[in-house]
Amino acid sequence: MSSVLRATGLSKSFGGLVAVKDVSFEAAPGEIFAIIGPNGAGKTTLLNLISGLLTPTTGRLELLGTDVTAMPTYRRCRLGLGRAFQVVQPFPEMTVAENVLVGAQFGSEGVSSSEARRRADQALERTGLDRLRDQPVEDLNLLQEKRLEIARALATQPKVLLLDEVMAGLRPGEARQAVELVRGVRDEGITVVFIEHVMPVVRDLADRVLVMDHGAELARGTYAEVTSDPRVVEAYLGVEDDDSRAGEESADARSVREAPGDDAGATAGRDA
Amino acid sequence: MRGLTRDLVATAAFAVLLVFLPSVLREVFGRASVSYLSLATNALVLAVLALSWDMLARTGQLSLAHAAFTGAGAYTVAVLFKLTGAPLWLGIPLGGLVAAVLALGLGSVTLRLFGIYFAIATLAFTEVLKAAVQRLPTAVAGGAAGINVPALFRPTFVAGSMERWEVAFLRNQGYFWVYAGLLVVAVVISVLIQRSRLRAAFTAVRTNEQVAGVMGVNPARMKLLAFVLSSFVAGLLGAVEAHRLGSVSPDGAFSVHTTVLALVTPIFGGLYTTLGPILGATVLAGIEETLKRTFSEGYLIGYGIVLVASILFMPRGLVGLASKLVKRGGASTSGRVGGASGGAADAAAEERA
Repeated sequence: MSSVLRATGLSKSFGGLVAVKDVSFEAAPGEIFAIIGPNGAGKTTLLNLISGLLTPTTGRLELLGTDVTAMPTYRRCRLGLGRAFQVVQPFPEMTVAENVLVGAQFGSEGVSSSEARRRADQALERTGLDRLRDQPVEDLNLLQEKRLEIARALATQPKVLLLDEVMAGLRPGEARQAVELVRGVRDEGITVVFIEHVMPVVRDLADRVLVMDHGAELARGTYAEVTSDPRVVEAYLGVEDDDSRAGEESADARSVREAPGDDAGATAGRDA
Repeated sequence: MRGLTRDLVATAAFAVLLVFLPSVLREVFGRASVSYLSLATNALVLAVLALSWDMLARTGQLSLAHAAFTGAGAYTVAVLFKLTGAPLWLGIPLGGLVAAVLALGLGSVTLRLFGIYFAIATLAFTEVLKAAVQRLPTAVAGGAAGINVPALFRPTFVAGSMERWEVAFLRNQGYFWVYAGLLVVAVVISVLIQRSRLRAAFTAVRTNEQVAGVMGVNPARMKLLAFVLSSFVAGLLGAVEAHRLGSVSPDGAFSVHTTVLALVTPIFGGLYTTLGPILGATVLAGIEETLKRTFSEGYLIGYGIVLVASILFMPRGLVGLASKLVKRGGASTSGRVGGASGGAADAAAEERA
């Protein structure tokens, strides 16, 4: 099968700082593709390159066979690219339903208003927000806000869905629900590309994993393959001479060690 | 769609009211109706200007260029009749079009500017346009002295069948109706925005342009659309003003005063609504007239105090104050929860203002 999303040699530098360095990958239809890596590895920059908030310095990006490297964000969206942000960014003056309706109305060309409303209702239902539809977004809690992020992206009828750390800050039970939601999305044939720090979630969801470090690809493969790769373990644990990172052994590092085992600590999505 | 129909019916009712207002004033006040009618006309002018500015502001573009667009409309009319013998009513639509085209040009170069940078660029545009008009050949644009503009209405005094003051009344009535027509045009444009998917798109672009783009909204198109619609209305207004005042000059047509009124009125009345700018214009015109009559000298100081106080104490304008009062009435029966979230919304609105 052909790829729905293909990055070839994507690089992005800000002045002298290279945030993403020669990254290539492909995501197949209906695949769940994870991007992981330590803080500052360039994951979110990569996602911004994909969704069009940033333009790559070099490299090429194809979405559903179309070259979208220089395409503005709204056209990528209409082509079939949805995105949920890491920092939830609802439109503050609107209700939940109005927020979702924006995506339904503008996410595809030539949608009638009744069809848009149907798509918005569907996205609200999918994400369990239908009861909150008339609430102002100020009243939502974090889980609901994350659901709203996903609902807005789903309402644009994406073929590829980008999720940026949607599990961050969620309690285990909530994360489990979110994992179920992502699975359901994939089961409809939507390709999911996600950034995640919660390793059990990556293990449970991802078909393939791209590990980034210092802006470049470090490893790629199934969850089991990448987590047993010594370079990945090293990057997470910071065993190398990089003192600044060696000092703060992060939650990432701990979860990478714990995850492959038959854990007690792994929570999210375990029994899902 | 039901909301749209309701709004259009309300607009039609409002239009009928405006058609009969001069006659009512004449019956009630007699000779004094001349000044009441010009007060009502001032309110209409201010309402059109404010609504035009608000349409643009809905996309987050805080313009200091409204005098440029009313001025462009005014000069279009003036130059048209100086150079040609065009039909009398052709100047007004042409003034709107010229302003809209200018807006398309300015809007395209300011797309990437936000907030204060956008505001300063638009202010600079006004000054550039003014300087350009001053430097055009005097035979075309009249130079610093300006150009005379033909009147739209010239009622003649017929001895015996009418009184002297009725001449002024008929003249004022004619302009009142033209401005009323402009306000109806502006209200219909505003209502069509508010009752279509444009409202959400404008709000999305204003509150977070990047996210709006990611959700499929084309921010550039929305901002330009708002700019063109807003300036079209402002250009029409400037064109009629040129006819009413009888002459245009660079200082008058591109006055900062116009720009200030254009933004103060919707802030006072309630931003991002159709009703707010109209309410604001009506109340402000009334306050100004009252102050002017009470303190003939220095009334502007009082006017300034009123504006400062209103911005401090009603951050969401008259419309916000009204909805707060309604909410407070509801909160006393339904407990404090609604009031608390209303407070948060007020605070958010205050931040934005």
